[in-house]
Amino acid sequence: MKPGKLLQVALGVLTSIGGFLDVGAIATAADAGASFRFSLLWVVLIGTICVIFLVEMPGRLAAVSKHSYADAVRERFGFQFYIWPILAEFVVDFLVLGAEIGGVCIALQLLTGIAFHWWAIPVALAVWLTAWLGTFDFIENGVALLGLITLAFVAGAIVLHPPWGEVARGFVPAPAPHEPAHYWFTAVSIMGALISPYLLYFYSSGAIEDGWGKQDLTMNRLVAGVGMSFGSLVQMGVLVTAAMVLAPRGIGVDQYGQIALTLVGPFGKWGYYLFAVSLGITCFGACMEQALETGFIVSQALGWNWGQSKRPVDATRFTMAYTLSIAASTVLMVVGIDPLKLTLFSMALTAVMLPLVVTPLLVIMNDKHYLGEHTNGWVTNAVVGLIIGLTFVMAVVAIPLEYLGGG
Amino acid sequence: MADDFPDMPENGTRLRLARDVLDSQMVDREHRQSGKVDGIVAELRDDGRLVITAVENGLPEAVSRVSPRVGDWIAALGRRWGVRKGEVYRIPFNKVRRTGIEVRIDVDAVATPLLDWEKWLNDHIVRHIPGARW
Repeated sequence: MKPGKLLQVALGVLTSIGGFLDVGAIATAADAGASFRFSLLWVVLIGTICVIFLVEMPGRLAAVSKHSYADAVRERFGFQFYIWPILAEFVVDFLVLGAEIGGVCIALQLLTGIAFHWWAIPVALAVWLTAWLGTFDFIENGVALLGLITLAFVAGAIVLHPPWGEVARGFVPAPAPHEPAHYWFTAVSIMGALISPYLLYFYSSGAIEDGWGKQDLTMNRLVAGVGMSFGSLVQMGVLVTAAMVLAPRGIGVDQYGQIALTLVGPFGKWGYYLFAVSLGITCFGACMEQALETGFIVSQALGWNWGQSKRPVDATRFTMAYTLSIAASTVLMVVGIDPLKLTLFSMALTAVMLPLVVTPLLVIMNDKHYLGEHTNGWVTNAVVGLIIGLTFVMAVVAIPLEYLGGG
Repeated sequence: MADDFPDMPENGTRLRLARDVLDSQMVDREHRQSGKVDGIVAELRDDGRLVITAVENGLPEAVSRVSPRVGDWIAALGRRWGVRKGEVYRIPFNKVRRTGIEVRIDVDAVATPLLDWEKWLNDHIVRHIPGARW
Protein backbone atom coordinates (compact mmCIF):
# COMPACT_ATOMS: atom_id res chain seq x y z
CA MET A 1 0.00 0.00 0.00
CA LYS A 2 1.31 3.44 -0.94
CA PRO A 3 2.18 5.84 1.95
CA GLY A 4 -0.55 8.31 0.95
CA LYS A 5 -3.13 5.55 0.94
CA LEU A 6 -1.83 4.24 4.25
CA LEU A 7 -2.29 7.66 5.82
CA GLN A 8 -5.82 7.78 4.43
CA VAL A 9 -6.59 4.38 5.95
CA ALA A 10 -5.03 5.41 9.27
CA LEU A 11 -7.13 8.57 9.38
CA GLY A 12 -10.21 6.59 8.38
CA VAL A 13 -9.58 4.12 11.19
CA LEU A 14 -9.09 6.92 13.70
CA THR A 15 -12.28 8.61 12.51
CA SER A 16 -14.12 5.37 13.11
CA ILE A 17 -13.06 5.51 16.75
CA GLY A 18 -14.49 9.01 16.99
CA GLY A 19 -17.60 7.95 15.12
CA PHE A 20 -17.99 4.77 17.10
CA LEU A 21 -17.73 6.23 20.55
CA ASP A 22 -20.37 8.61 21.75
CA VAL A 23 -22.30 9.45 24.85
CA GLY A 24 -24.46 6.35 24.40
CA ALA A 25 -21.51 3.98 24.06
CA ILE A 26 -19.86 5.40 27.20
CA ALA A 27 -23.03 5.47 29.30
CA THR A 28 -24.24 1.98 28.38
CA ALA A 29 -20.80 0.38 28.81
CA ALA A 30 -20.31 2.09 32.18
CA ASP A 31 -23.75 0.94 33.31
CA ALA A 32 -22.96 -2.61 32.18
CA GLY A 33 -19.62 -2.72 34.00
CA ALA A 34 -20.97 -1.12 37.19
CA SER A 35 -23.98 -3.43 37.41
CA PHE A 36 -22.75 -6.72 35.95
CA ARG A 37 -18.94 -6.49 35.96
CA PHE A 38 -17.54 -8.21 32.85
CA SER A 39 -20.54 -10.39 32.02
CA LEU A 40 -21.87 -8.15 29.21
CA LEU A 41 -18.60 -7.96 27.26
CA TRP A 42 -20.01 -10.54 24.84
CA VAL A 43 -22.72 -8.06 23.82
CA VAL A 44 -20.06 -5.49 22.90
CA LEU A 45 -18.28 -8.18 20.86
CA ILE A 46 -21.42 -9.26 18.95
CA GLY A 47 -22.41 -5.63 18.45
CA THR A 48 -18.98 -4.84 17.03
CA ILE A 49 -19.17 -7.70 14.51
CA CYS A 50 -22.63 -6.46 13.45
CA VAL A 51 -21.37 -2.89 13.11
CA ILE A 52 -18.39 -3.94 10.98
CA PHE A 53 -20.76 -5.56 8.48
CA LEU A 54 -23.30 -2.76 8.73
CA VAL A 55 -20.85 0.01 7.86
CA GLU A 56 -18.83 -1.94 5.29
CA MET A 57 -21.94 -2.36 3.14
CA PRO A 58 -23.11 1.28 2.90
CA GLY A 59 -19.43 2.21 2.35
CA ARG A 60 -19.23 -0.25 -0.55
CA LEU A 61 -22.57 0.99 -1.91
CA ALA A 62 -21.35 4.60 -1.88
CA ALA A 63 -17.94 3.77 -3.37
CA VAL A 64 -19.43 1.79 -6.27
CA SER A 65 -22.68 3.66 -7.04
CA LYS A 66 -21.89 7.17 -5.71
CA HIS A 67 -25.27 7.00 -4.03
CA SER A 68 -25.69 7.09 -0.28
CA TYR A 69 -27.69 4.52 1.66
CA ALA A 70 -30.52 7.04 2.21
CA ASP A 71 -30.62 7.75 -1.54
CA ALA A 72 -30.77 4.08 -2.37
CA VAL A 73 -33.51 3.27 0.12
CA ARG A 74 -35.77 5.97 -1.25
CA GLU A 75 -35.01 5.12 -4.87
CA ARG A 76 -35.39 1.38 -4.46
CA PHE A 77 -38.28 1.21 -1.98
CA GLY A 78 -40.13 4.41 -2.84
CA PHE A 79 -41.22 7.36 -0.75
CA GLN A 80 -44.11 5.36 0.75
CA PHE A 81 -41.64 3.12 2.56
CA TYR A 82 -38.80 5.57 3.09
CA ILE A 83 -40.93 8.09 4.96
CA TRP A 84 -41.18 5.73 7.98
CA PRO A 85 -37.50 5.04 8.69
CA ILE A 86 -36.72 8.68 7.96
CA LEU A 87 -39.37 9.97 10.39
CA ALA A 88 -38.17 7.52 13.03
CA GLU A 89 -34.58 8.59 12.41
CA PHE A 90 -35.67 12.22 12.77
CA VAL A 91 -37.10 11.58 16.22
CA VAL A 92 -34.06 9.56 17.31
CA ASP A 93 -31.64 12.14 15.86
CA PHE A 94 -33.47 14.89 17.73
CA LEU A 95 -33.14 13.03 21.03
CA VAL A 96 -29.60 11.71 20.49
CA LEU A 97 -28.27 15.09 19.38
CA GLY A 98 -29.82 16.52 22.54
CA ALA A 99 -28.06 13.81 24.56
CA GLU A 100 -24.72 14.46 22.83
CA ILE A 101 -25.00 18.23 23.44
CA GLY A 102 -25.84 17.24 27.02
CA GLY A 103 -22.68 15.13 27.15
CA VAL A 104 -20.52 18.14 26.26
CA CYS A 105 -22.43 20.27 28.78
CA ILE A 106 -21.89 17.67 31.52
CA ALA A 107 -18.17 17.59 30.69
CA LEU A 108 -18.07 21.37 31.12
CA GLN A 109 -20.07 21.08 34.35
CA LEU A 110 -17.54 18.56 35.68
CA LEU A 111 -14.69 20.94 34.79
CA THR A 112 -16.22 24.21 35.98
CA GLY A 113 -18.96 23.38 38.48
CA ILE A 114 -21.47 25.46 36.48
CA ALA A 115 -24.74 23.54 35.95
CA PHE A 116 -24.98 21.79 32.60
CA HIS A 117 -28.06 23.53 31.23
CA TRP A 118 -26.23 26.89 31.27
CA TRP A 119 -23.76 25.41 28.80
CA ALA A 120 -26.37 24.23 26.28
CA ILE A 121 -26.51 27.37 24.13
CA PRO A 122 -22.74 28.05 24.04
CA VAL A 123 -22.10 24.39 23.15
CA ALA A 124 -24.77 24.44 20.44
CA LEU A 125 -23.24 27.62 18.99
CA ALA A 126 -19.78 26.01 18.96
CA VAL A 127 -21.17 22.91 17.21
CA TRP A 128 -23.00 25.02 14.64
CA LEU A 129 -20.02 27.32 14.04
CA THR A 130 -17.72 24.33 13.44
CA ALA A 131 -20.24 22.87 10.97
CA TRP A 132 -20.74 26.26 9.29
CA LEU A 133 -17.07 27.03 8.81
CA GLY A 134 -15.43 23.59 8.69
CA THR A 135 -15.03 21.30 5.70
CA PHE A 136 -15.87 17.62 5.97
CA ASP A 137 -12.17 16.71 6.07
CA PHE A 138 -11.48 19.24 8.82
CA ILE A 139 -14.31 17.91 10.97
CA GLU A 140 -13.54 14.27 10.21
CA ASN A 141 -9.83 14.53 10.97
CA GLY A 142 -10.33 16.81 13.95
CA VAL A 143 -12.74 14.34 15.52
CA ALA A 144 -10.30 11.53 14.72
CA LEU A 145 -7.24 13.08 16.33
CA LEU A 146 -8.94 14.55 19.39
CA GLY A 147 -10.80 11.27 19.85
CA LEU A 148 -7.50 9.55 20.59
CA ILE A 149 -7.81 10.84 24.15
CA THR A 150 -10.46 8.18 24.74
CA LEU A 151 -7.68 5.59 24.67
CA ALA A 152 -7.37 6.70 28.32
CA PHE A 153 -10.12 4.16 29.04
CA VAL A 154 -8.02 1.34 27.55
CA ALA A 155 -4.96 2.52 29.48
CA GLY A 156 -7.10 2.75 32.62
CA ALA A 157 -8.38 -0.79 32.17
CA ILE A 158 -4.81 -2.12 31.85
CA VAL A 159 -3.47 -0.10 34.82
CA LEU A 160 -6.21 -1.55 37.04
CA HIS A 161 -4.96 -5.14 36.42
CA PRO A 162 -8.38 -6.74 35.97
CA PRO A 163 -8.70 -10.51 36.51
CA TRP A 164 -8.10 -11.41 32.87
CA GLY A 165 -9.63 -14.88 33.23
CA GLU A 166 -12.89 -13.35 34.36
CA VAL A 167 -12.66 -10.72 31.60
CA ALA A 168 -12.21 -13.53 29.03
CA ARG A 169 -15.24 -15.39 30.43
CA GLY A 170 -17.27 -12.20 29.88
CA PHE A 171 -16.96 -12.77 26.14
CA VAL A 172 -19.00 -15.97 26.42
CA PRO A 173 -22.75 -15.32 26.30
CA ALA A 174 -24.32 -16.18 29.63
CA PRO A 175 -27.65 -15.69 31.40
CA ALA A 176 -28.09 -12.80 33.80
CA PRO A 177 -26.22 -13.25 37.10
CA HIS A 178 -28.91 -11.15 38.84
CA GLU A 179 -31.63 -8.60 37.95
CA PRO A 180 -32.45 -10.24 34.58
CA ALA A 181 -34.64 -7.36 33.33
CA HIS A 182 -31.91 -4.80 34.00
CA TYR A 183 -29.30 -7.16 32.47
CA TRP A 184 -31.19 -7.58 29.22
CA PHE A 185 -32.20 -3.91 29.09
CA THR A 186 -28.52 -3.01 29.38
CA ALA A 187 -27.66 -5.57 26.67
CA VAL A 188 -30.25 -4.07 24.31
CA SER A 189 -29.06 -0.54 25.12
CA ILE A 190 -25.45 -1.48 24.34
CA MET A 191 -26.58 -2.89 21.00
CA GLY A 192 -28.72 0.19 20.38
CA ALA A 193 -25.72 2.42 21.07
CA LEU A 194 -23.48 0.31 18.81
CA ILE A 195 -25.76 -0.43 15.88
CA SER A 196 -26.76 3.15 15.47
CA PRO A 197 -28.74 3.82 12.27
CA TYR A 198 -27.02 7.15 11.93
CA LEU A 199 -23.76 5.30 11.38
CA LEU A 200 -25.13 3.67 8.20
CA TYR A 201 -26.36 6.95 6.78
CA PHE A 202 -23.36 8.96 7.92
CA TYR A 203 -20.72 6.48 6.77
CA SER A 204 -22.10 6.24 3.23
CA SER A 205 -22.48 10.02 3.01
CA GLY A 206 -18.91 10.41 4.27
CA ALA A 207 -17.64 8.02 1.61
CA ILE A 208 -19.25 10.24 -1.04
CA GLU A 209 -17.84 13.40 0.59
CA ASP A 210 -14.40 11.78 0.47
CA GLY A 211 -14.90 10.89 -3.21
CA TRP A 212 -14.46 7.13 -2.74
CA GLY A 213 -14.54 4.96 -5.85
CA LYS A 214 -14.19 1.28 -6.64
CA GLN A 215 -10.44 1.56 -6.01
CA ASP A 216 -11.22 2.32 -2.36
CA LEU A 217 -13.08 -0.90 -1.59
CA THR A 218 -10.10 -2.40 0.26
CA MET A 219 -9.76 0.77 2.29
CA ASN A 220 -13.48 0.58 3.05
CA ARG A 221 -13.05 -2.96 4.41
CA LEU A 222 -10.02 -1.96 6.48
CA VAL A 223 -11.66 1.16 7.90
CA ALA A 224 -14.83 -0.75 8.76
CA GLY A 225 -13.02 -3.75 10.26
CA VAL A 226 -10.05 -2.20 12.04
CA GLY A 227 -11.69 1.13 12.86
CA MET A 228 -14.80 -0.35 14.41
CA SER A 229 -12.70 -2.90 16.35
CA PHE A 230 -10.57 -0.07 17.72
CA GLY A 231 -13.69 1.86 18.76
CA SER A 232 -15.01 -1.27 20.38
CA LEU A 233 -11.76 -1.68 22.32
CA VAL A 234 -12.31 1.75 23.86
CA GLN A 235 -15.88 0.83 24.78
CA MET A 236 -14.62 -2.38 26.39
CA GLY A 237 -12.12 -0.20 28.28
CA VAL A 238 -15.03 1.83 29.70
CA LEU A 239 -16.84 -1.37 30.70
CA VAL A 240 -13.77 -2.92 32.36
CA THR A 241 -12.83 0.25 34.29
CA ALA A 242 -16.45 0.56 35.47
CA ALA A 243 -16.38 -3.11 36.54
CA MET A 244 -13.15 -2.59 38.47
CA VAL A 245 -13.91 0.79 40.06
CA LEU A 246 -17.69 1.15 40.39
CA ALA A 247 -18.97 -2.43 40.85
CA PRO A 248 -16.94 -3.31 44.01
CA ARG A 249 -18.11 -0.10 45.69
CA GLY A 250 -21.73 -0.71 44.74
CA ILE A 251 -21.86 2.54 42.76
CA GLY A 252 -24.59 2.50 40.11
CA VAL A 253 -24.58 4.76 37.08
CA ASP A 254 -27.24 7.36 37.76
CA GLN A 255 -25.20 10.41 36.82
CA TYR A 256 -22.22 11.18 34.64
CA GLY A 257 -20.25 12.25 37.72
CA GLN A 258 -20.32 8.61 38.79
CA ILE A 259 -18.91 7.44 35.46
CA ALA A 260 -16.05 9.93 35.97
CA LEU A 261 -14.92 7.78 38.89
CA THR A 262 -13.95 5.05 36.39
CA LEU A 263 -10.82 7.01 35.50
CA VAL A 264 -10.25 8.34 39.02
CA GLY A 265 -9.56 4.73 40.05
CA PRO A 266 -6.51 4.26 37.81
CA PHE A 267 -5.31 7.87 37.45
CA GLY A 268 -6.30 9.67 40.67
CA LYS A 269 -7.63 13.24 40.49
CA TRP A 270 -6.19 13.64 36.99
CA GLY A 271 -8.48 10.82 35.95
CA TYR A 272 -11.44 13.04 36.78
CA TYR A 273 -10.24 15.72 34.36
CA LEU A 274 -9.25 13.09 31.81
CA PHE A 275 -12.79 11.71 31.93
CA ALA A 276 -14.35 15.15 31.56
CA VAL A 277 -12.14 16.01 28.57
CA SER A 278 -12.72 12.58 26.96
CA LEU A 279 -16.48 12.89 27.43
CA GLY A 280 -16.51 16.45 26.11
CA ILE A 281 -14.44 15.72 23.01
CA THR A 282 -16.22 12.47 22.20
CA CYS A 283 -19.64 14.04 22.53
CA PHE A 284 -18.61 17.15 20.59
CA GLY A 285 -17.49 14.92 17.73
CA ALA A 286 -20.72 12.95 17.96
CA CYS A 287 -22.72 16.22 17.95
CA MET A 288 -21.04 17.21 14.70
CA GLU A 289 -21.75 13.86 13.10
CA GLN A 290 -25.33 13.66 14.35
CA ALA A 291 -26.17 17.18 13.18
CA LEU A 292 -24.59 16.67 9.76
CA GLU A 293 -26.34 13.32 9.44
CA THR A 294 -29.71 15.02 9.88
CA GLY A 295 -28.73 17.37 7.07
CA PHE A 296 -27.60 14.43 4.94
CA ILE A 297 -30.75 12.34 5.30
CA VAL A 298 -33.18 15.20 4.69
CA SER A 299 -31.24 16.40 1.66
CA GLN A 300 -30.84 12.93 0.24
CA ALA A 301 -34.49 12.06 0.87
CA LEU A 302 -35.62 15.05 -1.15
CA GLY A 303 -32.83 15.06 -3.71
CA TRP A 304 -31.30 18.39 -2.64
CA ASN A 305 -27.80 19.55 -3.24
CA TRP A 306 -25.82 18.51 -0.14
CA GLY A 307 -22.31 18.23 1.15
CA GLN A 308 -20.26 19.49 4.06
CA SER A 309 -17.43 20.15 1.62
CA LYS A 310 -19.62 22.75 -0.09
CA ARG A 311 -19.82 26.32 1.15
CA PRO A 312 -23.09 27.14 2.98
CA VAL A 313 -24.17 29.37 0.06
CA ASP A 314 -23.79 26.42 -2.30
CA ALA A 315 -25.98 24.02 -0.32
CA THR A 316 -28.42 26.25 1.55
CA ARG A 317 -31.17 23.73 2.27
CA PHE A 318 -28.63 21.26 3.64
CA THR A 319 -27.03 23.86 5.93
CA MET A 320 -30.42 25.09 7.13
CA ALA A 321 -31.46 21.49 7.88
CA TYR A 322 -28.53 20.88 10.24
CA THR A 323 -28.88 24.39 11.71
CA LEU A 324 -32.53 23.74 12.63
CA SER A 325 -31.70 20.32 13.98
CA ILE A 326 -29.03 21.74 16.32
CA ALA A 327 -31.41 24.47 17.46
CA ALA A 328 -34.25 22.02 18.15
CA SER A 329 -32.13 19.54 20.10
CA THR A 330 -30.55 22.30 22.18
CA VAL A 331 -33.96 23.07 23.66
CA LEU A 332 -33.94 19.64 25.33
CA MET A 333 -30.86 20.64 27.31
CA VAL A 334 -31.91 24.24 27.97
CA VAL A 335 -35.03 23.01 29.74
CA GLY A 336 -32.82 20.78 31.87
CA ILE A 337 -33.73 17.23 30.76
CA ASP A 338 -31.28 14.79 32.37
CA PRO A 339 -28.74 13.90 29.65
CA LEU A 340 -28.02 10.41 31.01
CA LYS A 341 -31.70 9.42 31.18
CA LEU A 342 -32.20 10.87 27.69
CA THR A 343 -29.22 8.88 26.42
CA LEU A 344 -30.43 5.55 27.80
CA PHE A 345 -33.98 6.17 26.54
CA SER A 346 -32.69 7.13 23.06
CA MET A 347 -30.63 3.92 22.88
CA ALA A 348 -33.72 1.80 23.60
CA LEU A 349 -35.74 3.76 21.04
CA THR A 350 -32.97 3.23 18.50
CA ALA A 351 -33.31 -0.51 19.03
CA VAL A 352 -37.03 -0.27 18.20
CA MET A 353 -36.46 1.38 14.83
CA LEU A 354 -33.47 -0.73 13.76
CA PRO A 355 -35.35 -3.30 11.63
CA LEU A 356 -36.77 -0.49 9.47
CA VAL A 357 -33.27 0.79 8.80
CA VAL A 358 -31.36 -2.46 8.45
CA THR A 359 -33.77 -4.67 6.46
CA PRO A 360 -33.48 -2.73 3.15
CA LEU A 361 -29.73 -3.50 3.17
CA LEU A 362 -30.46 -7.07 2.16
CA VAL A 363 -32.22 -5.94 -1.03
CA ILE A 364 -30.01 -2.99 -1.95
CA MET A 365 -26.72 -4.80 -1.40
CA ASN A 366 -27.85 -7.49 -3.85
CA ASP A 367 -28.99 -5.04 -6.55
CA LYS A 368 -26.67 -5.12 -9.55
CA HIS A 369 -28.05 -1.74 -10.66
CA TYR A 370 -26.19 -0.19 -7.75
CA LEU A 371 -23.35 -2.57 -7.12
CA GLY A 372 -22.59 -4.33 -10.39
CA GLU A 373 -20.18 -7.15 -9.58
CA HIS A 374 -19.74 -5.94 -5.99
CA THR A 375 -23.02 -7.29 -4.62
CA ASN A 376 -23.02 -9.24 -1.35
CA GLY A 377 -21.71 -12.80 -1.23
CA TRP A 378 -23.70 -15.49 0.58
CA VAL A 379 -21.69 -15.15 3.80
CA THR A 380 -22.44 -11.44 4.07
CA ASN A 381 -26.09 -12.07 3.20
CA ALA A 382 -26.31 -14.74 5.88
CA VAL A 383 -24.79 -12.37 8.45
CA VAL A 384 -27.17 -9.56 7.41
CA GLY A 385 -30.07 -12.01 7.74
CA LEU A 386 -28.96 -12.86 11.27
CA ILE A 387 -28.53 -9.18 12.13
CA ILE A 388 -32.03 -8.41 10.83
CA GLY A 389 -33.41 -11.24 12.98
CA LEU A 390 -31.56 -9.84 15.96
CA THR A 391 -32.87 -6.32 15.34
CA PHE A 392 -36.46 -7.63 15.22
CA VAL A 393 -36.01 -9.36 18.58
CA MET A 394 -34.46 -6.21 20.03
CA ALA A 395 -37.27 -4.05 18.65
CA VAL A 396 -39.88 -6.22 20.32
CA VAL A 397 -38.21 -6.44 23.73
CA ALA A 398 -36.66 -2.95 24.02
CA ILE A 399 -39.61 -0.97 25.37
CA PRO A 400 -40.96 -3.69 27.75
CA LEU A 401 -37.42 -4.05 29.11
CA GLU A 402 -37.16 -0.29 29.44
CA TYR A 403 -40.15 -0.40 31.83
CA LEU A 404 -38.98 -3.48 33.68
CA GLY A 405 -35.28 -2.84 33.91
CA GLY A 406 -34.56 0.69 32.77
CA GLY A 407 -34.95 2.31 36.15
CA MET B 1 -22.17 6.42 -12.97
CA ALA B 2 -25.30 7.40 -14.84
CA ASP B 3 -23.23 7.40 -18.03
CA ASP B 4 -22.81 3.66 -17.59
CA PHE B 5 -26.49 3.22 -18.24
CA PRO B 6 -28.15 3.13 -21.64
CA ASP B 7 -30.38 5.87 -22.96
CA MET B 8 -34.12 5.67 -22.54
CA PRO B 9 -35.42 2.52 -24.17
CA GLU B 10 -36.61 2.92 -27.75
CA ASN B 11 -40.26 2.42 -28.67
CA GLY B 12 -41.46 -1.02 -27.85
CA THR B 13 -38.85 -1.87 -25.25
CA ARG B 14 -39.69 -2.26 -21.60
CA LEU B 15 -39.42 0.67 -19.21
CA ARG B 16 -39.90 -0.01 -15.52
CA LEU B 17 -41.39 3.31 -14.53
CA ALA B 18 -41.90 2.57 -10.86
CA ARG B 19 -38.45 1.12 -10.43
CA ASP B 20 -36.27 3.15 -12.77
CA VAL B 21 -37.95 6.56 -12.86
CA LEU B 22 -40.18 7.15 -9.82
CA ASP B 23 -38.21 8.30 -6.76
CA SER B 24 -34.99 8.59 -8.77
CA GLN B 25 -32.55 11.43 -8.26
CA MET B 26 -32.94 14.14 -10.91
CA VAL B 27 -29.83 15.81 -12.21
CA ASP B 28 -30.13 18.85 -14.48
CA ARG B 29 -28.05 19.60 -17.57
CA GLU B 30 -25.44 21.34 -15.39
CA HIS B 31 -25.22 18.22 -13.16
CA ARG B 32 -27.02 19.95 -10.29
CA GLN B 33 -28.98 17.78 -7.90
CA SER B 34 -32.51 18.92 -8.67
CA GLY B 35 -34.81 16.88 -6.46
CA LYS B 36 -36.34 13.45 -6.76
CA VAL B 37 -39.02 12.26 -9.16
CA ASP B 38 -42.01 12.51 -6.82
CA GLY B 39 -44.68 11.56 -9.34
CA ILE B 40 -45.30 10.43 -12.91
CA VAL B 41 -48.02 11.92 -15.11
CA ALA B 42 -49.85 9.79 -17.67
CA GLU B 43 -52.61 10.76 -20.07
CA LEU B 44 -55.26 8.43 -21.45
CA ARG B 45 -55.58 9.37 -25.11
CA ASP B 46 -58.78 9.04 -27.20
CA ASP B 47 -57.41 6.03 -29.00
CA GLY B 48 -57.07 4.21 -25.68
CA ARG B 49 -53.30 4.56 -25.42
CA LEU B 50 -51.85 5.54 -22.05
CA VAL B 51 -49.05 8.02 -22.66
CA ILE B 52 -46.49 9.12 -20.09
CA THR B 53 -46.28 12.88 -20.44
CA ALA B 54 -44.25 14.22 -17.54
CA VAL B 55 -42.45 13.61 -14.27
CA GLU B 56 -43.31 15.69 -11.23
CA ASN B 57 -41.40 17.18 -8.33
CA GLY B 58 -42.91 18.62 -5.16
CA LEU B 59 -43.31 17.52 -1.55
CA PRO B 60 -47.14 17.54 -1.67
CA GLU B 61 -47.01 15.02 -4.51
CA ALA B 62 -44.58 12.71 -2.70
CA VAL B 63 -46.55 12.89 0.56
CA SER B 64 -49.90 12.34 -1.18
CA ARG B 65 -48.59 8.93 -2.24
CA VAL B 66 -48.53 8.06 1.47
CA SER B 67 -51.65 9.97 2.47
CA PRO B 68 -53.60 12.15 -0.01
CA ARG B 69 -55.11 14.12 2.88
CA VAL B 70 -51.72 15.00 4.42
CA GLY B 71 -50.46 15.80 0.90
CA ASP B 72 -53.37 18.27 0.53
CA TRP B 73 -52.51 19.86 3.90
CA ILE B 74 -48.91 20.33 2.85
CA ALA B 75 -50.01 21.81 -0.47
CA ALA B 76 -52.33 24.21 1.41
CA LEU B 77 -49.49 25.23 3.76
CA GLY B 78 -47.27 25.69 0.72
CA ARG B 79 -49.83 27.89 -1.07
CA ARG B 80 -50.02 30.13 2.00
CA TRP B 81 -46.39 30.32 3.13
CA GLY B 82 -44.23 28.33 0.72
CA VAL B 83 -41.75 29.79 -1.71
CA ARG B 84 -43.08 27.50 -4.44
CA LYS B 85 -46.68 28.28 -3.41
CA GLY B 86 -47.38 24.58 -3.05
CA GLU B 87 -46.75 24.08 -6.73
CA VAL B 88 -45.83 20.65 -8.05
CA TYR B 89 -43.44 21.19 -10.95
CA ARG B 90 -43.80 19.09 -14.09
CA ILE B 91 -40.97 18.23 -16.44
CA PRO B 92 -42.11 17.00 -19.87
CA PHE B 93 -41.14 13.40 -20.38
CA ASN B 94 -39.31 14.22 -23.59
CA LYS B 95 -36.85 16.19 -21.44
CA VAL B 96 -36.06 13.09 -19.38
CA ARG B 97 -32.88 11.96 -21.05
CA ARG B 98 -31.47 8.96 -19.28
CA THR B 99 -32.53 6.47 -16.72
CA GLY B 100 -30.66 4.07 -14.53
CA ILE B 101 -30.04 5.00 -10.94
CA GLU B 102 -30.30 8.68 -11.91
CA VAL B 103 -32.61 10.63 -14.17
CA ARG B 104 -31.10 13.36 -16.34
CA ILE B 105 -33.49 16.19 -17.05
CA ASP B 106 -32.68 18.41 -20.00
CA VAL B 107 -33.48 21.67 -18.22
CA ASP B 108 -31.57 24.36 -16.37
CA ALA B 109 -32.85 23.81 -12.82
CA VAL B 110 -31.98 27.37 -11.76
CA ALA B 111 -34.49 28.70 -14.27
CA THR B 112 -37.27 26.46 -12.92
CA PRO B 113 -39.07 26.25 -9.55
CA LEU B 114 -36.93 23.19 -8.71
CA LEU B 115 -34.33 25.32 -6.94
CA ASP B 116 -36.67 28.08 -5.66
CA TRP B 117 -36.15 27.16 -2.00
CA GLU B 118 -32.40 26.93 -2.46
CA LYS B 119 -32.36 30.43 -3.97
CA TRP B 120 -34.80 31.90 -1.43
CA LEU B 121 -32.82 30.61 1.55
CA ASN B 122 -29.65 31.98 0.01
CA ASP B 123 -31.11 35.42 -0.73
CA HIS B 124 -32.94 35.85 2.57
CA ILE B 125 -30.84 34.03 5.16
CA VAL B 126 -27.65 32.14 4.33
CA ARG B 127 -25.63 34.72 2.46
CA HIS B 128 -26.23 37.29 5.21
CA ILE B 129 -24.57 35.08 7.82
CA PRO B 130 -20.82 35.68 8.15
CA GLY B 131 -18.67 32.83 6.88
CA ALA B 132 -21.23 31.52 4.39
CA ARG B 133 -18.79 31.97 1.52
CA TRP B 134 -15.57 30.72 3.12
